[in-house]
Amino acid sequence: MRTARWSSYVVALLITAAIFATALYASDYFNNRRIAEIQATQSSISIDILSLETQFDLLAEHSCQDISENSVLSSEIQPVGQRLAYLETQSNVDQAQLTELKRYYSLLEIKDYLLMRQVTAKCGLKPVFILYFYSNKGDCKDCEEQGYALTGLSETYPQLRVYSFDYNLDLSALQTLIDIHDVKNQPPALIINGKTYYGLHTMADIKKILPQLATLKTATSTATTTKK
Amino acid sequence: MSMTGVTYAFLFISLYFEVFLLVAFLERRFVRVSRQRTPVDEATLPTVAVVVPCFNEEITVAGTVRSLLALRYPEEKIEFILVDDGSTDGTLSTLEQFRNDSRVRIFTKENGGKHTAMNLGLENTNAELIGCLDADSVVEPDALLHIAPVFENRLISAVTPCIFVKEPETILQHLQNVEYRLSIFNRFILAVIGSVFITPGPFSFFRAKVVRELGGWRFAHSTEDMEMALRMQHEGHLIANAPSAIVHTSTPRTLPALFRQRVRWTYGWLRNAVDYRHMVGNRKYGNLGLLVLPSALISIAAGIYFFSRIAFSSLISLRDEIIRIQFSGLYPHASFDLFYFNTSTMLFLVLVSVGLILALISAGSFIGTGSRRPPLSTPLFLLFYSFLVPLWLGAAVVRAVFKTGVSWR
Repeated sequence: MRTARWSSYVVALLITAAIFATALYASDYFNNRRIAEIQATQSSISIDILSLETQFDLLAEHSCQDISENSVLSSEIQPVGQRLAYLETQSNVDQAQLTELKRYYSLLEIKDYLLMRQVTAKCGLKPVFILYFYSNKGDCKDCEEQGYALTGLSETYPQLRVYSFDYNLDLSALQTLIDIHDVKNQPPALIINGKTYYGLHTMADIKKILPQLATLKTATSTATTTKK
Repeated sequence: MSMTGVTYAFLFISLYFEVFLLVAFLERRFVRVSRQRTPVDEATLPTVAVVVPCFNEEITVAGTVRSLLALRYPEEKIEFILVDDGSTDGTLSTLEQFRNDSRVRIFTKENGGKHTAMNLGLENTNAELIGCLDADSVVEPDALLHIAPVFENRLISAVTPCIFVKEPETILQHLQNVEYRLSIFNRFILAVIGSVFITPGPFSFFRAKVVRELGGWRFAHSTEDMEMALRMQHEGHLIANAPSAIVHTSTPRTLPALFRQRVRWTYGWLRNAVDYRHMVGNRKYGNLGLLVLPSALISIAAGIYFFSRIAFSSLISLRDEIIRIQFSGLYPHASFDLFYFNTSTMLFLVLVSVGLILALISAGSFIGTGSRRPPLSTPLFLLFYSFLVPLWLGAAVVRAVFKTGVSWR
């Protein structure tokens, strides 16, 4: 009978297990760093929003120019949203941690939305917000395409503010927002100028609904104004 | 089990096998890989017959026979049995050029396949050792002097050589050149752990007495070299490797030719594995039964699985990208944001696996050439070859399932 050297089997098993453990640890380490990076950005955004709110309260309409020029959304919140969307596709990310980040992100979006609504009202700006409700539970066949269309618009018009919300996220402030606008559980749903639209809307459809988009500065053009 | 679970299971098994081979190699590093031929006493050398089966090999066989005639070996102890296996081209007349050499004997017969040519050689020789040299291969002059002394160990019944790609020209041949370095390592280490399951056509040697006892070569699904090795292992014979016995073999120049060759090899391997299935997982056959045969079978399934998964994911990504462009009007642009760098466990494991394959290729280069430097085309091999292999693995599996048979050409 042939012999098998068991020590080789055990040593190979230990080394292979060590390689697997190292790979898991390394992947976990980098994912944690990503989460920490997002947490740091969100904290920074939170302070920025609070600062803008305070500044707005202090100076009222005199600060319109400053406020509109210093909007944090397009420059900081949007990339965080993209990063969260990327993390959702990664298998090794702690889902509980990710959900917490999404909750915090949604809260920041709502705060930014409310602040910008006040700014547009007080400063006489045309509202260029879109609230977008999606679902990633597998019950929204058009959400992926709708997301692409909104990304395309955001990239074309940096001043457009698109606030994306996971319809199923467990966040009381978000549920209140849904209730206020009476958004049905039929994602994708868009709220533009206070009106709710269901189903897939392409970039062209949205441009028709929101004609003031044409007056916004595009990513490649220069000066236009959102002022009435 | 989920798709991710299956992927990790295949990755674990693949990594485990690679690590096992490396551990075995490092544990037995005292097994010297010497390119220096130790002086041999010519009087003690065994008599040898080299059979050259030829079927329509008029272009390459002359070079093969010339390399045999240049072998350093006592003339009275060696004979070359050239068998024209019913060729329809000028093979026989090419062979006739060598009839005047006292060591050469020429036979011609109706076409019956390589195993029948080998058995004809076996019937017509009294030599102690019998070997084969495919008519598209050439040997280095000292090759036999590295092989014959290995048979001094009475337990050894067969010895395999070290095979290189002969004068690689096309990109595909350069890729095969790297693959053959990996095979040099595998052949060496599998011999060390008593698990050789192929005695390749180019210059493997056998004790003639053992081959007769075993009943000669069989058709064995067009892969008589695998079946003979499995039969020898089954009967408890040892198969060694002589890494300093250098052979250069012609390899397919084009993808269709390579595809046909590899489908035949894989088909033959699968059908022989079915015939010898009682050895798979059987500790009676040591490392061969416990690890090597199961891993070789699993590697076929893993290759097809990974290819299918990557192909499916690529198609999905392509579809998503088209939809993204269609709906956003944005074209993809390069992003260097470190945040989006792939740091998944899967990628780490794949990189480690590729690194281990590189180490095995380097070890194969060391065993075969004395230099650890892999061939220049190694990066191409690592990037692209694994996408070619599943093509013939898949075709061979389908043929094996439906038992369609395969042809040599």
